[in-house]
Amino acid sequence: MNNHKLEQLAEFVIKEGLRLGATDCAVSMYIGDSITTEVRLGEVEKQEGAQESGLTFTGYLGKKSVSVSSTNFRRDALTKLIRQAIEMAKATEEDQFAGLVDKHLLATNIPDLDLFDPALEKLAPEKKIALALAAEKAARLYDPRISNSDGASFSNTSAIVVYANSLGFLGSYQSTSCGLSASVIATDENNVLQSAGWYSGSRFFSTLLSPEEVGIEAAKRTIRQLGARKVETQQVPVIFEPTRASRLLTQFVSAANGDSIYNRSSIFLDKVGELIANPAVQIIDNPLIPQALGSFPFNREGLPAVKRQIVKDGVLQTYLLTGYAARKLGLQPNGGATGNLSITPGNMSFDEIVGTVKSGLLLTGTFGSGFNPVTGTYSVGANGIWIENGELAYPVHEITIAGNMLEMFKSIEAIGNDPITTSPVSSPTLKITSMMVAGK
Amino acid sequence: MNTNINQEALAFLQSTYKLSADQLEKLLVLATNSKNAYSDIYFQVGTEEGISLQQGSIMKPYRNLTGGAGVRSVIGDKTGYSFTDNVNYRNLAKAAKTAGAIVKYGSGTEAIKESSRSASSQLKDLYPVEETLLGVSLAEKINLLRQIDELVRALDERITNVTANIYVSEEIIVIATSLDELVIDRRPMLSLGVTCLAEDGANKQIGRSAGGGRVDFSFVYEDDRWQSFALEAARDAINKLSAKDAPAGEMTVVLGSGWPGILVHEAIGHPLELDFNRKDASVFSKSLDQKVASELCTLVDDGTIADRRGSLNIDDEGTPTQRTVLIEDGILKNYMSDRMNAALVGKSSSGNGRRESYRFAPQPRMTNTFMLPGQSTPEEIISSVKHGLYAFSFADGQVDVASGNFTFAANGARMIRDGKLAEYVNGATLIDNAAKALKNISMVGNDFALDKGIGNCGKGGQSVPVGVGMPTVRINNLTVGGTGK
Repeated sequence: MNNHKLEQLAEFVIKEGLRLGATDCAVSMYIGDSITTEVRLGEVEKQEGAQESGLTFTGYLGKKSVSVSSTNFRRDALTKLIRQAIEMAKATEEDQFAGLVDKHLLATNIPDLDLFDPALEKLAPEKKIALALAAEKAARLYDPRISNSDGASFSNTSAIVVYANSLGFLGSYQSTSCGLSASVIATDENNVLQSAGWYSGSRFFSTLLSPEEVGIEAAKRTIRQLGARKVETQQVPVIFEPTRASRLLTQFVSAANGDSIYNRSSIFLDKVGELIANPAVQIIDNPLIPQALGSFPFNREGLPAVKRQIVKDGVLQTYLLTGYAARKLGLQPNGGATGNLSITPGNMSFDEIVGTVKSGLLLTGTFGSGFNPVTGTYSVGANGIWIENGELAYPVHEITIAGNMLEMFKSIEAIGNDPITTSPVSSPTLKITSMMVAGK
Repeated sequence: MNTNINQEALAFLQSTYKLSADQLEKLLVLATNSKNAYSDIYFQVGTEEGISLQQGSIMKPYRNLTGGAGVRSVIGDKTGYSFTDNVNYRNLAKAAKTAGAIVKYGSGTEAIKESSRSASSQLKDLYPVEETLLGVSLAEKINLLRQIDELVRALDERITNVTANIYVSEEIIVIATSLDELVIDRRPMLSLGVTCLAEDGANKQIGRSAGGGRVDFSFVYEDDRWQSFALEAARDAINKLSAKDAPAGEMTVVLGSGWPGILVHEAIGHPLELDFNRKDASVFSKSLDQKVASELCTLVDDGTIADRRGSLNIDDEGTPTQRTVLIEDGILKNYMSDRMNAALVGKSSSGNGRRESYRFAPQPRMTNTFMLPGQSTPEEIISSVKHGLYAFSFADGQVDVASGNFTFAANGARMIRDGKLAEYVNGATLIDNAAKALKNISMVGNDFALDKGIGNCGKGGQSVPVGVGMPTVRINNLTVGGTGK
């Protein structure tokens, strides 16, 4: 199905919702076509083709609301589904905060963010196999200690998203994405296995990392963990490399989610306008970056995509508010979920930051979620490279790092000059003054 | 008539999709595409419903209809998979062709063969639900949520928010294979969860309790279950208001019974799934018949326990589930397998081939995984520890199968001082290596319990419901990742 047909179907659903008794309604639809090719030890191991479809109808009877979803797009099935929704809505209770977002807030202009790569559809299956094979081969040839492989894969998806509501909003956009990954296993002299991988994802095939880059990075990350040891329990500076800093950023910003705020379950409750990070920290969400993975032209409620500064000079500027959360808190909605979230890069190079540490940890891997947004407690399993006298010394594992999230962000004392990446969350290298490393 | 063809399953496919037995066979041949290949089709029709209460408001109830079918083709160690959300013969034929395209890449000398325990010969009925879960009215569920809210708020004025949710689902699974099997399973699922926020000045804590299983709705009323879930969540939050910083470093850890069995799931369960081991990618590869744990440890995966969240009459390849002893008195006895991985090592599936839905190919997965009871009383175990941590509630866990390093996040814990339970401490991640931690198990309690039915397990992007269980257990030298001294 193409955009036009899906938009027609969305209009049908809205009309049908109103005809069957909804006072207001909305529909979001998704269709996606994806293919994944996995190889292992030089051979094709798995090929998966997926044609997904999904539709969610939200119906309102005054202040009563309900949502139903289905994978079946046949019109008779949709009518039946909407009837079920209306029956459910009748039986539920009123919620004074329920409802669509106010009409004047809806997006009126849907920007073209260049999210669709026609080249991906023309990519032959043999070419995809070749890419995955080349990534795995590059990883396996990198070092003789690479003893085994978890495989490599190439995947690509083409999707259409549609949203419509009974206030007159109707929008759709098409997008593509592709990814290449490799993961290998290395063995040390004591027969201890270490595995690690690397991944490149993009909306455009031409901007994906080469198979050699992906494979070699996977191999390097595996090899550097060989011979890892456990260190003594101690309080030291911790440097988060960009992959781990990005994950930390995701967790930090998740506590600004409007749902957590109105549930009083966040360290950011009543903190807008207050210092929650080092004044050098700028956190920006921009869903309007052309070609970027996290970009979208309008959000799931029909609100326009907008660039938001979430933290400015260390001060929390806003919560992330859906229509519901905003109404509950008496604030203006700004779209809830983030698009492309980033910490603005600083001035120091990675080497310079490592050079500032006499004894401490370069964090390269974390295990477990480990963050409690109510108390701010942060504790995760970790591995990485120990730093001695400003230089990378030896790999470490079977340790944890712990701290309080607010204190950690306030004590970010160095921000790397690593460039912003194309992934939906991007942070440069971050140095946190002091965290508890638990080991022996 | 073939005894492995279930007539109810055939009737279901005919009435739901107008698919005949002949068409089914044609599809399987299309997917198989060669005499050494194996193929199956997994049909799923289901409905799930949920409703929650938050801050005294009933939130938007939802109903999701799921339906589709996935076609798989296997040759040797190679898999082709494709699915459709819109099931009819034409779309299935397209999916079968896509899946069958894998055959040109494979040779397949170790073809999947009919096992002695095949399909419908021994159908179980582990979760007979007398009254449909989907028949329970919204009014009854709303009433229950309101009662939970009232009960908890009346308990203590420090409880400032209550979130409660009810989830029910029912699905019908039909599996057809190229080994002339056709089976059907009807799978119910219920869960009830309560989360409480307690506040005392600036100090805030969350407490949680939840449970469920493949049961009917009376489960929530029996044994005053909803009341006990609600009160447990509230007390958990209030108890934690006095929590101090968790300690940091290696120490003796005592794990409470039941849900802390997540240790068994992460540290031992995943590394004993056959896909990792066949590829020599697990810390326990090539360790069969070797001592991998303390002799106090006997560990089992059992998909055949009535009513449990992790139980299945048949797995998602149509193989009847079973009880598999993984480790007996510390010795590694068996891996958990699906059909493809079992065939590749010359064995039969252990009934652990599972998938999240028709959109995924199966993988070796756990069902209910637990450690059997030992001799010590929980009091003896706690009083044996001079200084350590007692962890009784966990959020999640993760394992790196290759190295065996695993973590699990305690969100309910107390210090043990001089053999007695002392102050509550904040949550902390625990980390160790599976090969070492299992040998450091020094006491095993006689108070075995399964969890209350809340577990989900993620692997390869697929989530499936599971169960865990354990008696109280003492482990020496586990690293606790707090911030305190």
